[in-house]
Amino acid sequence: MYITLDGVSRQYDSIWAVDRVTMGIGKNEFVSLLGPSGSGKTTLLRIIAGLEKPTTGRVLIDGEDVTDLPPHKRGVAMVFQEFLLFPHRTVSENLAFPLRMMKLPAAEIAERVAWVVGILSLGGLEKRYPNQLSGGQQQRVALGRGLVGRPKALLLDEPLANLDRELRQEMEVEIRRHQSALGIPFIYVTHNQEEALSMSDRIAVVRKGRIEDFAARTDIYDRPKTAFIAQFVGRSNRFEGTVDAAGRHVATRCGTILALPAPLTAGHAVQLFIKNEKLRLAPDDGTDGASHGANRLACTVKDVILRGAYADYILAFGDRELNASRPRSERAFLSGEAVIAHLNPEDIDLFDMDGERPS
Amino acid sequence: MRGTLTRRLGTYTLLATLILSYLFLYLPILHIGLGSFARNHTFPYPPRWTLDTFGRLFGNSLYQTAFFNSLVLGIGAAALATVLAAAATLGLMRHAGRRAGLYLALFIAPLFVAEVLVGIASLIFNGLLLQLQGNLVSAILANAVHCFSYALLIMATQLYRYDWRLDDAAMVFGASPLRTFFEVTLPLIWPGLLGAFVVTFIMAFNNLEISFYLLGATPTLPSVAWGALRYGVKPELYALATAVNLVVILGLGVMFVLMLTGKARFGHRPERARAV
Repeated sequence: MYITLDGVSRQYDSIWAVDRVTMGIGKNEFVSLLGPSGSGKTTLLRIIAGLEKPTTGRVLIDGEDVTDLPPHKRGVAMVFQEFLLFPHRTVSENLAFPLRMMKLPAAEIAERVAWVVGILSLGGLEKRYPNQLSGGQQQRVALGRGLVGRPKALLLDEPLANLDRELRQEMEVEIRRHQSALGIPFIYVTHNQEEALSMSDRIAVVRKGRIEDFAARTDIYDRPKTAFIAQFVGRSNRFEGTVDAAGRHVATRCGTILALPAPLTAGHAVQLFIKNEKLRLAPDDGTDGASHGANRLACTVKDVILRGAYADYILAFGDRELNASRPRSERAFLSGEAVIAHLNPEDIDLFDMDGERPS
Repeated sequence: MRGTLTRRLGTYTLLATLILSYLFLYLPILHIGLGSFARNHTFPYPPRWTLDTFGRLFGNSLYQTAFFNSLVLGIGAAALATVLAAAATLGLMRHAGRRAGLYLALFIAPLFVAEVLVGIASLIFNGLLLQLQGNLVSAILANAVHCFSYALLIMATQLYRYDWRLDDAAMVFGASPLRTFFEVTLPLIWPGLLGAFVVTFIMAFNNLEISFYLLGATPTLPSVAWGALRYGVKPELYALATAVNLVVILGLGVMFVLMLTGKARFGHRPERARAV
C-alpha cells in the first residue's frame, strides 16, 4: 500500500479522538473518510499531514516511516475547509509558495504555476489577492496550491463545505478528474455522504475515532456492515422487532410482520433498515389480494416533495412515518391517497441491537 | 420651520464643541510654539520673532548629549520590550492552554505598579544584587518592564485576529517553522509589532520617573528638562518642546501622505479591498 496507517491512535486528555486505526491506501485511490462531526476524521487527516502527532502507531508514506517527520518534510499537500490562502500574497504567489519551498528554479515555478492556472481556469486572476476572489475562486486557488507541487498525496479537509450546492457538484467532478489525471492518492474528509459517494473509490466510515468499515463505495451504500452505516449513508426507514418462533419473520414494534431474507434464531431482537428508494409503492385499491400481508404496509400519503427526477413521499403508517423516494417516471401519488408500501426482503438490511450483522 | 431651526442649532452646538475641544487640546502647544520663536517667550502676544532660542538649544551640547541618550534609551527599551512581548504573546496564544489567564495577569501586573516605585525598586535591585551602576543599560532594563506590559497588550489585540492555521498551511506546503514565521506570520503581524515598538519607544523616550533613579549621571531629555526647571523655564525648553512636536507632526504627515498615495500599506486589512 502506498499510504499505511498502522494502529494509529491520538489521545486528547482522556478522550481517544483516533482509536487504533489501521488502513492502507493505494497509489491511484480516491479515499473518503466519512463521518459525523467530532468523529475524529479530521484528526486522522492531520496525523497523515504531520500536523498532529499520533499517541501510538505509525504512518508510512511510499514505504517510508514518516511518523516522526514534521509536516514540511512529508511531501504531502492539503486543501483546507477555510481555504487558508495566504492573505498577503497574490494568487500566483500563493500557487508558487509550495514550489519556492521546494527550491525549484524560477523558470520551472512559472511553468508549473501556468499549468495549474490553466487546468483550474484561474486565468486573469493571477494578480489578485485572496480577499478579491469569490468563494469558488478561492477554492480553486486552494486546490491549485495543493496540486502544483505534485505531492505524494493530497489531503482534503471538507474542501467544499463552504460552497453552495451547484458549485459543489461542479467541483466534485473536477476534483475527481484531477485525481485520476495525476495518479496520486486523494484522501478526502467529509461529513457529506453525497460527496463521498460521488467521488470515492473507497469510503472509510469513521465513528468515535474508529473505522467502522473501509470498503468500495457501492458496498458501503448497498451492503452496510453495521447499523451505524445503514443509518448514516443514504436515507432509510428503520424498524425494531423480534424474530418469531419459526425464525422466518420479524414482528416489529409497530405491529407489522416482515419476512426475513434468511432464517434467524427465534426471539432474537433485531433492527431493520430499508433505503427510501427501495420502498415500492402501489395504489391501495383492493385489487392486490395480499395487500395487508407480510412486507406490505398500508399507508396514506401525507406529503409529496418534488426533487426533479425523483419524488419523495412522506407516508403515514399507523402512528409513525415512512419515507419513500420514487422516480417521476413511475405512477405519481397525491397527498391523502391510500398506498401499499412494499418491502422486498432482499432489500432489508438487518442488524442486532448492538449494530452488528447477526452471525 | 421649527425642525430646521432645531437642526441648525444642533449643528452649531456640535461645531462649537468641536472647536472648543481642539482649542483646549492644541492651545498650550500653540502657545509654546509661538513662545519658542519669540524674544518675549513668556508672553508672546504679539510675538517679537527670533530664532535665537533654537540657536541656544542646538548650541548647548548638554541637550545634544541628552537627546542622543534618550534616543538610545527609547530604542533599547522598545526593542527589548517588543521582542520579549512578541515571544510572550506567541506563547500565550499558542502554548499556554488553560493557564493563559494566569500568565496574562502576571505579564500585565507591572502596569499597576507606580512608575516611581518601579524606579526605586529597580535602583535597589540593580545596585544591591546585580552590582549594576546607574547608567543607560540599567535604565533600559527598568524601562523595559512596564514597556513590556504595554507592548504585550498592543500585540495581543492585533494577534488575536491572526489565524494560526495559516501556519499549518505553510508547513504542509514545505516551510520549516522558522521559514513559516518569516514567510507568513511576520508579514501579517508586523503592524502589531511596529505599533508596540512605536508606543514603547515614546514611553521610554519621555520617561522621567523610572529613568531618574537609574541613569546615574547620564543626562536624557526629560531629566535635563526637569533639572533646568529649577532655574525657571528657560527659552531652550520652549524650543525643545517645539522641536519634538515638529518631529512628531512631520512623522505623522509623512505616514499620512504615504497611505493616501498607496506608496506604503500599514498592515494587511482583509476588509479593505472587498469590492472588485
